[in-house]
Amino acid sequence: MHCQTTGSWGSYMPTTRTAATVVVGDPLERIERLASENAVVIFSMSSCCMCHAVKRLFCGMGVNPSVIELDQDPRGRDMEKALIRLLGASPAVPVVFVGGKLVGAMDRVMASHINGTLVPLLKQAGALWL
Amino acid sequence: MANHRVGETGLTESRPPNHHHHHNIPYAVLHGMNVPTSFIHQEGSAFGFGELEEAIVLQGVNIRNDEAKAPLFRPAATLEMFPSWPIRFQQTPRVGSSKSGGESTDSGSAVNTICSKTENQLEPESPISTKNTTPLDHQQEMASDFSRTGTSQNQPVAKLPQEKRRGSTSEKQLDAKTLRRLAQNREAARKSRLRKKAYVQQLESSRIKLTQLEQDLQRSRSQGFFLGGSAGAVGNISSGAAIFDMEYSRWLEDDQRHMSELRTGLNAHLSDSDLRIIVDTYISHYDEIFRLKVVAAKADVFHLITGMWTTPAERCFLWMGGFRPSELIKMLISQLDPLTEQQVMGIYSLQHSSQQAEEALTQGLEQLQQSLTDTIAGGPVIDGMQQMAVALGKLANLEGFVRQADNLRQQTLHQLSRILTVRQAARCFLMIGEYYGHLRALSSLWVSRPRESMMSDDHSCQTTTDLQMVQPSQIHFSDF
Repeated sequence: MHCQTTGSWGSYMPTTRTAATVVVGDPLERIERLASENAVVIFSMSSCCMCHAVKRLFCGMGVNPSVIELDQDPRGRDMEKALIRLLGASPAVPVVFVGGKLVGAMDRVMASHINGTLVPLLKQAGALWL
Repeated sequence: MANHRVGETGLTESRPPNHHHHHNIPYAVLHGMNVPTSFIHQEGSAFGFGELEEAIVLQGVNIRNDEAKAPLFRPAATLEMFPSWPIRFQQTPRVGSSKSGGESTDSGSAVNTICSKTENQLEPESPISTKNTTPLDHQQEMASDFSRTGTSQNQPVAKLPQEKRRGSTSEKQLDAKTLRRLAQNREAARKSRLRKKAYVQQLESSRIKLTQLEQDLQRSRSQGFFLGGSAGAVGNISSGAAIFDMEYSRWLEDDQRHMSELRTGLNAHLSDSDLRIIVDTYISHYDEIFRLKVVAAKADVFHLITGMWTTPAERCFLWMGGFRPSELIKMLISQLDPLTEQQVMGIYSLQHSSQQAEEALTQGLEQLQQSLTDTIAGGPVIDGMQQMAVALGKLANLEGFVRQADNLRQQTLHQLSRILTVRQAARCFLMIGEYYGHLRALSSLWVSRPRESMMSDDHSCQTTTDLQMVQPSQIHFSDF
């Protein structure tokens, strides 16, 4: 299944992640800013297998998430620490934002999918049409 | 000739035992061959025939004393009087008889070997023979040699202390070689004794382990059900796994209790609120096993993921350390009638989403496996330890997957109870409990089923072909 996991998604503002744009600021703010740029944003690490699982989950649902690989971002380390603080637990990734709002780590994502709250959320954010 | 006489004397009068003398006497002489006298005198500067005759007499005395013990008498035995040829002398007693500690040659080749060695050793030994040794020393040496060789046939080891008594370096040269050889032999014998001892000990402990295993197996069979794997097993089980197994068996007992409560509650037509309490208790009962599995996954993820905590039949359906939620729902769907349309949609939606989640986790695990393979597969290994460290780090992710799978199972059960009415939920959980109970019973039956291949001659044991789970102890495999 074709699932674009990196970069931008057509009708939404593309995520510009260039090393040249150095935004000085709180990593958490950056996270929130990045999270609001797309309907579904996944903070991930390229080597993480659980991140791969969550990506496959969304692709399997027909959702095209925007993925931010922290290990490939120059300020990834700071963001990782901020995410741990946000979640209150390790590991920092994967973390999913839908419609700019935090859904959580893998266990929360799975729980929300099983209890039927994830799909409406996705539809609401415009990530999913039926 | 004097030598000839000597030789003959040696032949007829005595049985010279193996004996060393540092003086060089040509082999030919010793065998009583015609040799020009001049030749002999050439070598024997430090050796006098007077001493030799004395030695022969002494030798004869010794030999007669030891006659019972030294049955060897060979023409070549005259060589033994002359310690100049240490190796050869050691060989001679072996000619046609048991050895006395030297190299072994058969009688046929001994002579030739000795002959060649004579020639080889003439040169090295001449300096030795010119060393400071008094005639007295010679005699002493010869005497000790005689006594040594006299008993040599029976006490190869006893040779050693006598050998050590010698002062001259030629004796030492012989001794060193002999000593080393003997020491090596002893060492080898000792090592093989130790190995044998270790092997026997290993056999013994394995035997004990085997009987213990058999006893455990008998015990669990006679109890009529098969506790998945390792509750009382001997052998390699981690403490985390053992603890979990114990907790799981206790959980199974609780499960039986809860199920009977559900049954009685349903049959008694309790009010919904009362039944709700029972159902919620049952859900908490399941929550507990998932909590225990979190701990177990941390302690020993492989125990969970390989299903060693479950029964064989359950293991057959194992997915990521437990049951597959979508399969469970599939099993339930047909039995949960009647359902409202909304409920039907809810159940199918639940099945669908659990399938998607299962698929995602499976793919994540596959990526982990691929990554692990890439790490540990051959190729240019720069740093083996580093490679292993990286692999270990990746392996640690297994725990996360088992946890997420258990999380999925737990969420599925909770969602079921939300979709269904209290009564339906009570029936549902009873069905689940009974399903796994049947699966466990199937495992038990399978394990204790009659195996025709083992009943070759004794057909009387085939009376238990009808599957009676209750008496698996009737089948005594120990009879075969």
